Order: sequence, then C-alpha cells, then structure tokens
Amino acid sequence: MKILLKKTILYSICFLVILEILVRIFHLHKDTPKRYVDTFEVEKWLPNQTGFAVTGNRRQNFSEYRINQFGFNSYHEFDPKPDRYEVALVGDSFIEGFHQPYRKSIGTMVEEELDSIQVYEYGYAGYDFADQLHLVHAYDSHFRDIDYIIFGLKFKNDLTRDQYEVQIDRLRLDSPPYSWLKQSKLLVYLQSIGALDPFKNSVAQLSSFTVSFLQPSAEKPALAPTDTISKHALYLKNFRTLLKKYPVNLSKIAFMLDTKETPNEFLIYLKTQNIPILNIGEPLSESKMPTTLVYDKHWNYTGRKIVAKTIASYINRIK
Amino acid sequence: MLFNSVAFAFFLPVVFFSFWFFFAKKKNTRYAFITTVSYLFYGWWDWRFLGLIVASTIVDYYVGLRLEEATKTDTRKKWLWVSIVFNLSLLGFFKYFNFFIDSGWQLLHSVGYTGQNAWTFSILLPVGISFYTFQTLSYSLDIYYKRLQPTRNILAFAAFVAFFPQLVAGPIERASNLLGQIIKTPKFSYPQCVQGLKLILWGLFKKLVIADAIAPIVDDIFNNYTSYPSGTLILGICLFSFQIYGDFSGYSDIAIGTAKLFGIELLSNFKFPNFARNVAEYWQRWHISLSTWFRHYLYIPLGGSKRGQLIAIRNICIVFLVSGLWHGANWTFVVWGAFHALLYIPIFLMGRNRIYMNTVVAERSWLPTPTEVLQLVSTFLLVTFSRIFFRSPSISEAFAYINRIGQFSFDSQYQHPYGYRMIDYYILLVLFVLYEFRIRRNERNPFPFRSKYVRFVAYTLVLFAILLFYDDAVDRSFIYFQF
Repeated sequence: MKILLKKTILYSICFLVILEILVRIFHLHKDTPKRYVDTFEVEKWLPNQTGFAVTGNRRQNFSEYRINQFGFNSYHEFDPKPDRYEVALVGDSFIEGFHQPYRKSIGTMVEEELDSIQVYEYGYAGYDFADQLHLVHAYDSHFRDIDYIIFGLKFKNDLTRDQYEVQIDRLRLDSPPYSWLKQSKLLVYLQSIGALDPFKNSVAQLSSFTVSFLQPSAEKPALAPTDTISKHALYLKNFRTLLKKYPVNLSKIAFMLDTKETPNEFLIYLKTQNIPILNIGEPLSESKMPTTLVYDKHWNYTGRKIVAKTIASYINRIK
Repeated sequence: MLFNSVAFAFFLPVVFFSFWFFFAKKKNTRYAFITTVSYLFYGWWDWRFLGLIVASTIVDYYVGLRLEEATKTDTRKKWLWVSIVFNLSLLGFFKYFNFFIDSGWQLLHSVGYTGQNAWTFSILLPVGISFYTFQTLSYSLDIYYKRLQPTRNILAFAAFVAFFPQLVAGPIERASNLLGQIIKTPKFSYPQCVQGLKLILWGLFKKLVIADAIAPIVDDIFNNYTSYPSGTLILGICLFSFQIYGDFSGYSDIAIGTAKLFGIELLSNFKFPNFARNVAEYWQRWHISLSTWFRHYLYIPLGGSKRGQLIAIRNICIVFLVSGLWHGANWTFVVWGAFHALLYIPIFLMGRNRIYMNTVVAERSWLPTPTEVLQLVSTFLLVTFSRIFFRSPSISEAFAYINRIGQFSFDSQYQHPYGYRMIDYYILLVLFVLYEFRIRRNERNPFPFRSKYVRFVAYTLVLFAILLFYDDAVDRSFIYFQF
C-alpha cells in the first residue's frame, strides 16, 4: 500500500508537470492581460501588454492581442488630434475583440473602408452602459477631441444599473489568489474548456447545501423585477439617469444595436432625443454566411466585416 | 454516480482506503461495507429504486436456499420459476410494460379498432435493471443446475448483487466467479492495483476521448439525416460504431479496473471486437458477459446445437431476438437482433462459428494478411450497418436512413456541429485503431510495453488526449445505462 501511495503521488506530480509543459509548448491556454483601476476610477487593462487569446480546446480560435498605452486592445495608440477625423467605438468584448487578431479588428476594417480616418476601439469585456459613459465622462478632454462616438449597446444586458461603480467581482479575477492560480497554464486551459466546471458546481452545491442546512430560515435577497414590462421601464429609467449623471454631447454620439433585440419604447426614446441608431441586426441577419464563431457568440471575420461596413457607411454619411 | 463524475473521483479513493484499512479483513463487515457503498453509489442516481435491488436480493437469496433444500425436481422447478417470474416481472414492468401495451394497441388499430390507449404509464427505467436482474437470475439458475452451492450469508449475497463497479452496466457476473471472490478474504496486491489503475485510465480515454468526442457528430447526423448526403450518413453510422464501442467498453474497463482495486477480478466484457474476422467472432468479443449469459442460460437449455441443425437455427434465432429485446423496448432492437441472426446462421451452417475462438487477427505477425483485412473490414461494415437499427428511434426512420444512403450523394463535406476541425477526429480514430491493433492480444493490459519509460509516455499521451478532446457540452452518461 505504501508503494502504491508513493508511486501514485510521484506519478501524479510527473503527469501534472509534463502536462503543464505540453500546454505551454502548444500554447493551448489563453493569455489574459492584467486589469487595473486607473486614477479616474476607470477599469481597463494594464498598458503595453501582448499575448494570445485562445478559445476552445485544441486552439479552435487563436489570435494575438495588444494592449496599447491607453489600456485597450488596438494596434493604435489613442492620440486624438483636432486636425484629424477620429471615431471612437465604445463597448464590450465585441469591440474589445480578443477573439480576432488585433490587426483585423472592426476599427481596422472601418479604416480600410474610409480614407483619412482613425478608429479607436475602447472595448472591454463586460462593459455595460454605465462603464462606457463613465469612461467617456472621466476622460472628457480626451474624448472632446474625438469627432464621433459610437456606443455598442445590448439593451437587455447593459442597462441594469443607474450608476457607475467599480465592478469588484471582475477585479477579483486579478486578486493575488487568482493571479497565483493563473501561473499554471494547465489550470487556465482546464478552466477555459470547462473541465473544472463539474468541480466548481460540486463545491457550489455543497456550499449552498451547507448554508441552507445551517441557516434554514435565512432571508432570501430581494429579487429584481422579473416581468418584461417592468424590466424595460427600469432599464429605460437607468439609461436616462446615466445620461444625466455622466452627460455627453448628444450631437456626436450614436448607438450601435440590434433593433430586433431592443424594445420599441427605447428606440422611440432615442428618436425623440435625436440620437442616431446604427442597426447591425438587419445586415447581420441578411448575411448568407455565418456571422459568429461557431464555438463562441462573437463575430467572425464575416460578421466583423458587416459591422464595419455598416459603421463606415454611417460615418460616410455624417462626416 | 457516473464513473466519469466528480463525485466518483472523491468516492473511489475514500472507499478504497476505507476498505483496505478498516473493512477488508472481517467477513461480515466487508460484506456490509461493500453493500453499503454500492447502495450509496446507486442511490446517488435515485435512491427510490434501491428497493428493487434489495427485493431482488432477498428473493433470490431465499430461492437459492430453498433450491438447495428441495430434493424433488418439481419443487426445485417451482422455486426456480419463482426467481424467473420475479426477476422477469421486474424487468417486464419497468422496461417493457409500455412497449407491449403500445404494440398491442397498434395491432388493434391495424385491424380497425378505434379505442384510445389509456393503459400506458409514465415509468422511469431504473438504471442497471437489465444487468442486476440477469445476475441474480444466473445465481438461481446455477443452483438449480447444481453448478453452485448457495451462500448462507445474505450480506455476502447482497454484496455480490450490488457490487458497485459492475452494478449498473455490467459485466454481468456469475456467482461462481464474483461471489467466491467476495467471500474470500482479499489480500492487497500492488500489481493488481496498478493493473486496475491502468484499465481505469484506458477506460476513461475510451469514454472521454473516443465516445464523448464523437457523440455530438453522431447526434447531429442522426437527428438531421434528411438534410445530409449519403457520404455523411455513412460517416455518421461508422462513427456511431466507434462511439458505442468507446462508451461501453470504456465503462467495462473502468468497472474491471475498479474491481481490481478491491482485489476482485471481473469477467472480460470486450476483446477488441473491431478486429473480428466474422460475425461469430464478433459475438465472442463484444459484450461477452451477455452473450455467454444467453449461451449458458438460454441457448444450451433450449438444446443448443446438439438436437439437429433446424433446432440449432431456431435456438440461434431465439437468442438473437431476445438479445435484441434485452437492449431496449423497441422493435428496432428486435430487428437488429434478427439481422445478426441472419448474419450468424450461414457462418454456423458452414461450421465457421468457432474457428477463431482462441486466436487473434495476425496471430504471429505484425500486420494482417490482405484476406484478414478484407474479413475485418467486411465484418466491421456488416456490424456497423446493423447499428442503423440500433441507433434509430423507429424502424421507419432506420429504413429512411438506409434509403438516403442508397441515393449515393457525396456532394458536400461534413462540418462539425460545434465548428471543430473534423480532421482531428479522423486522425484520432486512425491512431486509436492502430493502437488497439498493437495491444489486441490482451484486453486486460492496455499498456503492454516492457520499458517503463515507454509506458510513461503512453500514459502521458492518453492524459494529453483527454485534455485535447474534453468537451463540456457533451452529455456524459453512458449509453448502456438506458438498457
């Protein structure tokens, strides 16, 4: 029994070490840049980082990213000048574009469509409208030199709060224990392919069971409104509140959204405020080729091209 | 509890160490421990059905004692029928009740009756019922045929019925093999444990890498067969052959390996059936514990091949039809069994059904001869073709699938439903077949390399393959659980 125990431990350690090496050699793991909160309380990536974003097992999607000095994934350094026409795309992971090589981003495609224009992409996974507006508001002088700002908005996800606060949960991903765990690329890979989910679910089930066992009469937290009408009303209210708290020049902004996924009352509201809409839902749905990655909901090359063309034709009209 | 679940990853080491440190030496505590952990293993899925196992255990234990006591043949027969009726009633109700009622109503409708069927119930099939009922039945049958002395310790018998590694999907054990080992005080054996761990690793590879990786492709092709060309449908059924082999033989390897950790040797269930040279050899290599069960307890009692060829052919047909029905309450399985009977009978009539019993393909050479290759490919294709019935939800859909294959359209290349590269799977399967060919002589030793360094490389590659092909979107349950 002693020999079995000893050898099992020895073999397990050897396997872990070799698998770690193999994962690193074949670069199966995704690199994640470090995030931080800057002096303006804006959460973004630490400047000047490079790496490779990997999706799925066996490197189904493999693309390089480059975090610029401003803290976003782009081949540009964001340096708006009054004598140049610049457009800012502000949004979440779809704009951030870790799923694509940074030189083939939506912004680059827009620049290819239009002459003498620079497109800066302020994309960060998980950014909602509060994050986006706060960024623009916090860097007011920076954005003042930018000629036009397009916000990527998903009504159902991005308007759940009416005030900006740093998302502690997201930052926790860079806390010392997580950073330490991320040193193991094997662990990062296992996590990204979902192999750790059964363990995590078991732990979650066990802890919820323990909590309910120890505190059977614990009060349940108040629930957010569940019916669609009250949700829509709440989100619209949040939108108005956010615009009041972090005012922007409405004459130089537009919203890029899918009108089919957006309730009418919100579209009407934008119309009454004379805020233009770039509907990307229609051209994407008209495409005969798939527009998203098959193992991921993000846009593939075709999808990005369609979005870029929609933006380019809009900019062309208003420029 | 699934072998490939987190719960089992914690369960097995705890049970293993507890067994050897605290429970292995004393008889009754050992039986009680095996029974308890086995019930826990089973109850993890649904504790309500534990009652069935307990009932089956009590009835057959009691029948076993009465069979031994009885001296008159009529009394012995009566007690044997108690066991047969009880076990088959369990199976009949939970597995076949709705099937026969539905079939009866369809028959009535076909002759013009227009009534509504209000007899079917919503019945949940207890996992493993086909396996443990056959196991307990074999105990009574062996005592009846005086091949076995009954045990007088109900705890030992309960441990035999419920022994967790093989409880839910076999191998279907005989009391003469398993019960004797449970009763004997086990001795810890390091080489046996190592062999067990190797089999568990190889079984996990077959399940997680071969079966689970292919499953989404097979599901996609069978669910949308009307929109795919013939080439894709052929691919689908060939992949299903590998999927079901990986799934079931992977389970058996894990079961046999786990049992080894407790000092118990289970029967072999698979001996590389993909390298069978005819369908008869295939059945000597596929689900061996079931085919030998039917041979011992159905084919031979019916007269086997000793009462003339006509009776033998009748017996072969009965065995294959019953074997088909054993797999599931659907006429597709009966057709599948009938198809195999049709394949088997000519081989039997030519006297070639036992010629490959003690040999493997390319027995004394590195590579098979061209004739052997032809035999392997033709057997694989015939068996694979039969699986269209095994996999399809109904006979009409199976024929529709076959019809579509018959259109001979090969116009488009198949794309993986999740967008993965198909070439990865083709390479994987080629390597898998080549590796299995290399180890074809001993199904109990999946890493038969003399050098420990080569063995270590093989283990590492297997683990790395699991990392590469693990897919969290796949349903991880075993196919044979539904039987």
